[in-house]
Amino acid sequence: MEVTNAIDCNGLSAAPTLLRIKQALVGLVDDALPLEILVDADCDRDRLRRSLGLQGDAVRLVSRPQ
Amino acid sequence: MPDLNVDEMPSGTSVPVPAKGVSPEVPDFAFDPTDPWTETFQKGLERAGLSGKRIYEVGIGTGTNVAFLLRMCGAAHVSGSDLDPRLVVLAERNVRSLAPEKANLFHPVRGAVSLIDTEEARARIAETDVIIACLPQVGDPGDRRLTAFRKAQAVELPEGAGEKADDHIAHYYPWAAFDEYPFNSVGLGLNEALLHRIRDHAPTAQVIMNFGCRIGTDIIFELFEANGFRPEKLHSQIVRQDAGTDISFFVMLEKALRGTGLEKDLVCAFFADEGALRPLSASEAQDLLDRDPDTPLYHEVCVIRAVPVAA
Repeated sequence: MEVTNAIDCNGLSAAPTLLRIKQALVGLVDDALPLEILVDADCDRDRLRRSLGLQGDAVRLVSRPQ
Repeated sequence: MPDLNVDEMPSGTSVPVPAKGVSPEVPDFAFDPTDPWTETFQKGLERAGLSGKRIYEVGIGTGTNVAFLLRMCGAAHVSGSDLDPRLVVLAERNVRSLAPEKANLFHPVRGAVSLIDTEEARARIAETDVIIACLPQVGDPGDRRLTAFRKAQAVELPEGAGEKADDHIAHYYPWAAFDEYPFNSVGLGLNEALLHRIRDHAPTAQVIMNFGCRIGTDIIFELFEANGFRPEKLHSQIVRQDAGTDISFFVMLEKALRGTGLEKDLVCAFFADEGALRPLSASEAQDLLDRDPDTPLYHEVCVIRAVPVAA
């Protein structure tokens, strides 16, 4: 999968990943959404989505193929 | 400024506090070398076994570490650069004064150098065994995107925190400019940018960096591991935070995690006492400061050595 203009969260554990997403979403206009978030393959996406709450709709979590 | 008689000092002796009547020149734009951060850093450097090593310091400041490395650690030679070009000139003067017999082993890279982003700096790094640095871990309070995030968390910038002191660049970095680095989210973007550059230009070099651990040591270790380094703590001590230091950056990180279920995954590490027996989150520390701005607060400063895993 080719990912462009993604926010790179590789290497980050859950809390700093969530902070990075929240920081990226601040001030972003609706037509720039959803924002692609590049996460580690072993990232717990369900947990991250739960933590994002309503903001979860504004992002798309993607991983590089292994 | 009189010279130190280094022959009278036993090898390995720490000299964070200048000898009587001797001190490096420290204008307002330079970080104070008698600060406990420098003391911690130099104790860590002492333990690193740097005899005969070729060293580069990113951010040489007053040159106090350069003099220390040459005089007390037996470094083969030291190169270094700084974002503020005035500091290189100052460092040369101070090294000549503090380590006169070894001043010829100091090879400064002159001019304004951001991290190692000049050809000369990169060439020097490529011939280096050990790179040392103590870089800002807090985004510039005036950064536009950081300000927007701060407002989104309803965290106010304390009065006076946005004013630029002469040594502003020693304490803050342009946060948005380092947003391509994932660990920028917790204030480690500038440090991560340096690790990337070291990996590219000096892939076998060790790194020794001095950190304020208000963000927590776990996440600092994560930074190194995520960037291909194996970290170890060389030295650590609890220091009193300078009165008037703005900690709102850490408060807004904690606030942004509230209600997410991840609150316990990142709790900033302040202490109410010198013995580090009474931990405080950033929010708790801020509450104390709001009640009394002179409340003493403490945090860990630690020196981390990181070895490239691939080397």
